[in-house]
Amino acid sequence: MGNFKLTSVEEFEAATNRLLETGAKVGADAWQFRVKNQTPHCKFGEQGVCCRICSMGPCRITPKAPRGICGCDVHGIVGRNFLRFTAGGSATHSDHGREICHTLHTVAPDGNYKVKDPDKLIRIAKEWGVETEGKNIYDLAHEIAEMALLEYGKPFGTQRFLKRAPEHTQELWAKAEIEPRAIDREVATALHMTHMGCSSKPEALIRQSLRCGLSDGWGGSMCGTEFSDVMFGTPKPLDTEANLGVMKEDYVNIIVHGHDPSLSEMICDYAEDPEMIALAKSVGAKGINVAGVCCTSNEVAMRRGIPMAGNFLQQENVVLTGACEAIVVDVQCIFPALGPLSKCFHTKFITTSPIAQMPDSEFIRFNAETAGENAKLIVRTAVENFKNRKPELVHIPQLKQKATVGYSVEAIVKTLDKVTNSQVDVTGTTKPLIECITSGVLRGAVAMVGCNNPRVRPDSAHIDLMKKLIANDIIVVLSGCSAQAAARAGLMDKEARELCGAGLKRVCELADIPPVLHMGSCVDISRMMILASELAKDSGLNISQLPLVGCAPEWMSEKAVSIGNYVVATGIDTFLGVEPQVTGSSEVVGLLTDGIRDWVEAAYTVEKDIDKLGDLMIQRIEEKRAALGI
Amino acid sequence: MTLFDVVFSGNDTVYGLTESAISDAIAKYGADKAVAFPDTAYSLPCYYAVTGTKVGNLGELKEALGVVKTLMTREQKLNDAFMSGVATALCAEFIEVLKYIDGAVPYEAPCYGHLGDPVIRELGVPLVTGDIPGVAVILGAAPTAEEGVALVKSYQAQGILVTLVGGIIDQCEAQGYKTGANVRVIPLGKDVTSVVHAVSVAIRAALIFGNIQPGDAAGLMEYTMKRVPAFVNAFAPLDAVIVACGAGAIALGFPVITNEETFKVPKSLIVQKDVSKFNATSLEARDIKIKITNIDIPVAFASAFEGEIIRRG
Ligand code: SF4
Ligand code: SF4
Repeated sequence: MGNFKLTSVEEFEAATNRLLETGAKVGADAWQFRVKNQTPHCKFGEQGVCCRICSMGPCRITPKAPRGICGCDVHGIVGRNFLRFTAGGSATHSDHGREICHTLHTVAPDGNYKVKDPDKLIRIAKEWGVETEGKNIYDLAHEIAEMALLEYGKPFGTQRFLKRAPEHTQELWAKAEIEPRAIDREVATALHMTHMGCSSKPEALIRQSLRCGLSDGWGGSMCGTEFSDVMFGTPKPLDTEANLGVMKEDYVNIIVHGHDPSLSEMICDYAEDPEMIALAKSVGAKGINVAGVCCTSNEVAMRRGIPMAGNFLQQENVVLTGACEAIVVDVQCIFPALGPLSKCFHTKFITTSPIAQMPDSEFIRFNAETAGENAKLIVRTAVENFKNRKPELVHIPQLKQKATVGYSVEAIVKTLDKVTNSQVDVTGTTKPLIECITSGVLRGAVAMVGCNNPRVRPDSAHIDLMKKLIANDIIVVLSGCSAQAAARAGLMDKEARELCGAGLKRVCELADIPPVLHMGSCVDISRMMILASELAKDSGLNISQLPLVGCAPEWMSEKAVSIGNYVVATGIDTFLGVEPQVTGSSEVVGLLTDGIRDWVEAAYTVEKDIDKLGDLMIQRIEEKRAALGI
Repeated sequence: MTLFDVVFSGNDTVYGLTESAISDAIAKYGADKAVAFPDTAYSLPCYYAVTGTKVGNLGELKEALGVVKTLMTREQKLNDAFMSGVATALCAEFIEVLKYIDGAVPYEAPCYGHLGDPVIRELGVPLVTGDIPGVAVILGAAPTAEEGVALVKSYQAQGILVTLVGGIIDQCEAQGYKTGANVRVIPLGKDVTSVVHAVSVAIRAALIFGNIQPGDAAGLMEYTMKRVPAFVNAFAPLDAVIVACGAGAIALGFPVITNEETFKVPKSLIVQKDVSKFNATSLEARDIKIKITNIDIPVAFASAFEGEIIRRG
């Protein structure tokens, strides 16, 4: 067994506290303090009963004032707020996906970006009815990129990728009138519906919330994932490391933070450039070390094994080590606090996207056409900054764990092929996993996703739930900051199988996998939708019948809500550890936790007691098993 | 019924039988009556290996049954099914040992029943060196005697040690197929409980060659899984008792291959309808690579035949 040991949340916190000491020395602010300043939060906002979508308002609903000036009741206000929240998340993922499609449009054999997985491209082309025979792969890429871009604004029809869902799911969507049309249109419709004097009927607003979510999961995010794989390679299992200890004291540390792999991939390329390495040596460093934060970290970890420094609430810690030469960001989940914070250190806070511009940052505009030069300039800027380091401020917490990552759907199926028997089984399916589940060896699966949120002790909910689930023979697939929590704790080390129940342990041994599988970034939750669809097709069951649930125990972003909506709308019950801002409306709560089940055969469960949340998930999984008689 | 429910019910059945068999024996002989297998230093080898406790008389056997009962938890989890499988094997061992009271000779040719330590030591070395690349436990009756014998023969030709339980023994006899320890085809017995004599071989191999400490159940299971290349071929129909025994085999790391349509578990419980493919399916499931190169001669050739006595005529 060796001497495998998880890193505890207490150890995470001790490391953070030590870093905050450095922060105190240089007068740095930190989220821990800002949370205090913002507590207690406004109750109207927390319950979603405040409306400021027209200038007759702001209006807020109380027992004495049951309607806004326009006459909208609390259910309409809460519903509209929820839909706008969703639209924000959907727009964010979808725009990320769009950027990727644009990048795909620039691929060239000698360009910044190339086609690394032509097979995947051809597969998608065939799916979309595009002739591939005898076509140059780059011409095909451009053609598909254009088609994909049209998915964002096509005037007629619904999303092409919907066809990947089992027929039953497609029928449900059609019947409920929630099939997403053009991706952008659903966001625009959402904003239209929520304008003053449009929809105030909760049912209509929640229906559009689901449709807008689906346009993300089965549209924007799926484009993001699929075409990232085409350009950067479909992830395969590989080993890496996680937690702040992956930063190296005598190296130039470049942290990539944000979401779009077009940037991070290019930075990684140039960090390996001999010219840059020589430059690093000339300034007294041993070399260049790239590590990641948040989803862009997941992207480069999945494809290149780039180590993962931390998740969402670790982003300030990276700078607080005093050993970060540059934190290079693109879009989404980037604390504007990084600007002022980096000023307390030698760190360069480099923003790169016109979408995410922040004060106190150095803006090096990055775009696909000039990606090479941009990335080189960024790396050079970081390397040259090494000499400005203040050694007295350097402290890197020596915490890190081994992690095996890279479980795309393709990789999972390949892994499952290894446990088939060539005398009886076919390969290339999810059937071995279904067999493990039907026989009871595995009780089910949980897709754990989402962010950190100071409302929950950071990472504790992720890690506690994972430990509980795997001990109960439930396999866990992960993405986003949840995945990083697992990696930092050590749950992605194959030796973590010792923490599993006998069933999952045996599966891990036979398939040679860790008990929790890293499926990638937040857009890669689209991979989970594909996996669920494949499981349904291979088993002949509906997605909602599978003993499979989703969970976002520490969610915080609008994206998380959009994700939740498409996961639920795909037929997967979803469990939240943080309350959405809807509690002011019994009708909206009723719909989300129950009513939508009539449309999509799944709904939300909210439970802030994390241990109970775990019990509820296990209970739901067992209910699904009982219903199937397995 | 779930797969685990079948295991649990098979375990319950065997437990019930064991309980009454022990009570009957105590009523007949008294609690002080000695119980032991011949030619072994390991008491009841399976029970001893799992718990570290030796059993000397009927009273102790009854106590041991109480320990076995504690393994019979009933949650719907693989661990519970595994432990029930182990409990089933232990019950089988208890039933079997009762047959040996007062130096009785319960098995007669061609069946062996319990195998003494010297046989294990003799087989153990070639097992460790890989000269015996695997151990097949064949359980029940093949669809036809011809198919059954062909399967036995195929393993024998690969140097695999074959143990037989139940109907397959009659099938070999009916076909006039030569069996015996010398040709490494060992009929154990016709009752399903005699399968424990095969388990006993694997377990004593772990104690003798693996230096596993009696009572270290986890270490034992790890050793058998990693080091003892055994597998089970169980012919349809499978009743709950056989499934419960199968769970015990899987717990030790031995895959079960059957021609009955039932639950499937990758690498562990494999449904192979075509008996002629049992051999290839089993070897692949247990990752057994046959070292011997096939020599193209008209008779089966393998180390299994080294001990064969060639009779005139
Ligand atoms: S839309 Fe209605 S409730 Fe909202 S701010 Fe305007 S008047 Fe108030
Ligand atoms: S999981 Fe949440 S915090 Fe982390 S990158 Fe994704 S949206 Fe941002």
